[in-house]
Amino acid sequence: MASLLEMKNITKSFYGVKVLSDVDFTLERGEVVALCGENGAGKSTMMKILAGVYKSDKGDIYLDGEHLSPNLQALDMQNRGVSMIHQEFNLMEHLTVAQNIFLTREPLHRNGLINYKQMNTDAKELLVSLGESGIRPTALVSSLKTAQKQMVEIAKAISFNVKVLIMDEPTAMLTMKETEILFDLIRRMAKKGIGIIYISHRLKEIKAVCDRVTILRDGRFIVTEKVSELTEQQIANYMVGREVNVSKATDYTGDPDDIILDVRHVSDSLLKDVSFTVKRGEILGFSGLVGSGRSELMEFVFGIRKTKTGEIYLNGKQIINKIPASAIKRGISFVTEDRQQSGVVIKRDIKENINLIDQVKNKGFINKASKQKNNTARMIERLNIKCAGHSQLVSNLSGGNQQKIVIAKWLLVDSDLLIMDEPTRGIDVGAREEIYRIIHELSAEGKTIIIVSSDLTEVLSICQRVIVMHEGAIKAELTGEDRTEEIIMSHATNAS
Amino acid sequence: MSNLSERSLLDTSKNIWSKYSAVFVFIILFAVCTLLTGGDFAEWNNVTTILRNASTIGIIALGMTFVIISGGIDLSSGPVMATAGTVLVYMQGSGIPLIWSILACIAVAAAFGFINGIITTKVKVPPFIVTLAVGIIARSITMYICTGATVTGDNTDTFFKSIGNGKILSIPTPFIIMLVAAVIMTILLVKTKFGTFVFAVGCNETAAKYSGIKVDRIKILTYVIAGICVGIASTVEISRMVAVSSTTTGAGYEFDAITAVLVGGTSLSGGRGAIYGTVIGAIILFFINNMMIQLDVSTYLTGAIKGAVIMIAVLLQARNK
Repeated sequence: MASLLEMKNITKSFYGVKVLSDVDFTLERGEVVALCGENGAGKSTMMKILAGVYKSDKGDIYLDGEHLSPNLQALDMQNRGVSMIHQEFNLMEHLTVAQNIFLTREPLHRNGLINYKQMNTDAKELLVSLGESGIRPTALVSSLKTAQKQMVEIAKAISFNVKVLIMDEPTAMLTMKETEILFDLIRRMAKKGIGIIYISHRLKEIKAVCDRVTILRDGRFIVTEKVSELTEQQIANYMVGREVNVSKATDYTGDPDDIILDVRHVSDSLLKDVSFTVKRGEILGFSGLVGSGRSELMEFVFGIRKTKTGEIYLNGKQIINKIPASAIKRGISFVTEDRQQSGVVIKRDIKENINLIDQVKNKGFINKASKQKNNTARMIERLNIKCAGHSQLVSNLSGGNQQKIVIAKWLLVDSDLLIMDEPTRGIDVGAREEIYRIIHELSAEGKTIIIVSSDLTEVLSICQRVIVMHEGAIKAELTGEDRTEEIIMSHATNAS
Repeated sequence: MSNLSERSLLDTSKNIWSKYSAVFVFIILFAVCTLLTGGDFAEWNNVTTILRNASTIGIIALGMTFVIISGGIDLSSGPVMATAGTVLVYMQGSGIPLIWSILACIAVAAAFGFINGIITTKVKVPPFIVTLAVGIIARSITMYICTGATVTGDNTDTFFKSIGNGKILSIPTPFIIMLVAAVIMTILLVKTKFGTFVFAVGCNETAAKYSGIKVDRIKILTYVIAGICVGIASTVEISRMVAVSSTTTGAGYEFDAITAVLVGGTSLSGGRGAIYGTVIGAIILFFINNMMIQLDVSTYLTGAIKGAVIMIAVLLQARNK
């Protein structure tokens, strides 16, 4: 009997950059396979090709031994039993649970109107079969907790008679207990013969729930092996392609009393009495799970988020940033988390984007064309931005180059304090290395850098000190030998 | 390699078409109109009539361009034009110096724009609703002041009348006013940081905010600019007859202005657009009006043609995205 799923020689390029080359992947019935790799290794692209979101340049996919046409769209793949649960859920917040589960497949009365009674009963049955009887089918999705939304996504996938279920970082926003419930459900689904592809960075979870692990690096297949045959350390080594833990950042060597930023007692609905300081020239990392309040804390410092309490001292003087413009004037830069949402003005050109903050900061009304041209050329060279010219639209650039544009516009204003939220998310290895190089250069120039990152390798390799947050509070502050993946993770998940 | 250069050539020509589609439509329409009317259409007299008529809508549309690029819309222009015009006619009629009357007219229109902007940004009501409501209120106030009638000013003021009716070097004065305004607006949009911020806000409000741009202030300013343009348009329009009809002056002008902006290539979803396109868009609209008359087509059908032109213009832009 043929394997449940076989992907052979999958190749894909974006903007001329190869993100997958000749990658193979197999999945058997009832098997849970982890797909591992660093950010940018090609995991998501691979899975999006399987789910029909992207079309591969080359390669074949066999489901139940049947060769699939490369032109199948996401809905075709769902109807064939391949469902993907994305990290950001694909649910309509203002519709009910049942409406979401049966979207586009609503049961109808004879007269063509929707049979809500039937729909709600079916939804209830599905949810009960998942062991989740606490979600009402008529509840609005917006009223659900994260873990419950995930259950709705799973129920939706199962309602398609799912054969292959892809889960992208399913535990990123779950508590320990919710994670256990999810693992239990994964095991039961596997028993029924469903093949599950589990994408995660968390090696402990992979050991706990997966049967086999397939590792990608830089868009290439590296190895596939039974989980029981590999240690966590071995998996990590395969992912990065070298011995990890070697390049841990050195400790801060500057003046320990030279505090540039002192943030005290920040509290609101999410943040719980958070205080921290950062010294001049230091590279400080904030680690924690998604939703632990790291970005929100930075938004407070930058004048975007209003909190109930909280004080900011910059160079010993108390300041109040009501709007981002005042933070910028005081020499604070903020490279935001989501470059498409809040980073670049995507429909405008490179020159305009790079000069945007400079224009906000500086006086003068008429644009100085020659100055802008010089600035743009300087930044393109310094950050090694690959582009066709100054007037190329940012929407035509690759993710890594878009991220460099965001960094460029903040570098241009020469701030003393640079906050970077997920500075290397979703960009390739090369661009990431270049961004690390720039961070080190800035630090050497005496600039202070705060990095918020979910990528533990990144935090360990560039941050001199690491603050770990959990559910809006600071759980730990780690320097020197205490900076290890295990210690950070245990604080982030509140395991210790 | 040859494949690549062919492709880039195709891309370039596509880009040129999408960037200047309003210009092409303009040229084609002019040629068609001229042919259909046996040359009458291109006569200087007829051309100046078109330009004179297009100017009022054109001036309103200049301000509207700013609002639409920043992601908003202004449905109050027509009624506000009547309100501001009433102020102008009353003041001018009661002997107040013309310059003060005109400034008051522009100030009133700008104030309405300011109100639009404040409510849109601070109370966070969608601009469609705010400006619709403000428009209804403005129309009602005008009718109340005039008790629903037509009011007239001092009809003997020849200088005032020459604003709307006169010519300079055989070019209609209103058109010159529109061109001067268009040049100023182009500089404001393309050469100043305010203009850059208007585009940024219309493209991506969140990114603009995180970049330290005072988004609310930018939006309010676009509505004030729209108001000022309405005030100028009101002065030009009212001076032609020195009279305001509280019920019909400016009726439907906001939609004509929006049409001109869209035909001119500005994106209704914000972030993209140009002033020269708006000027051409306004002229195209009055081409159509004029041709209908020349060809003796029922004026009742003007709306049908205008509607079709809007759809074709927007379709052409959408295809080239």
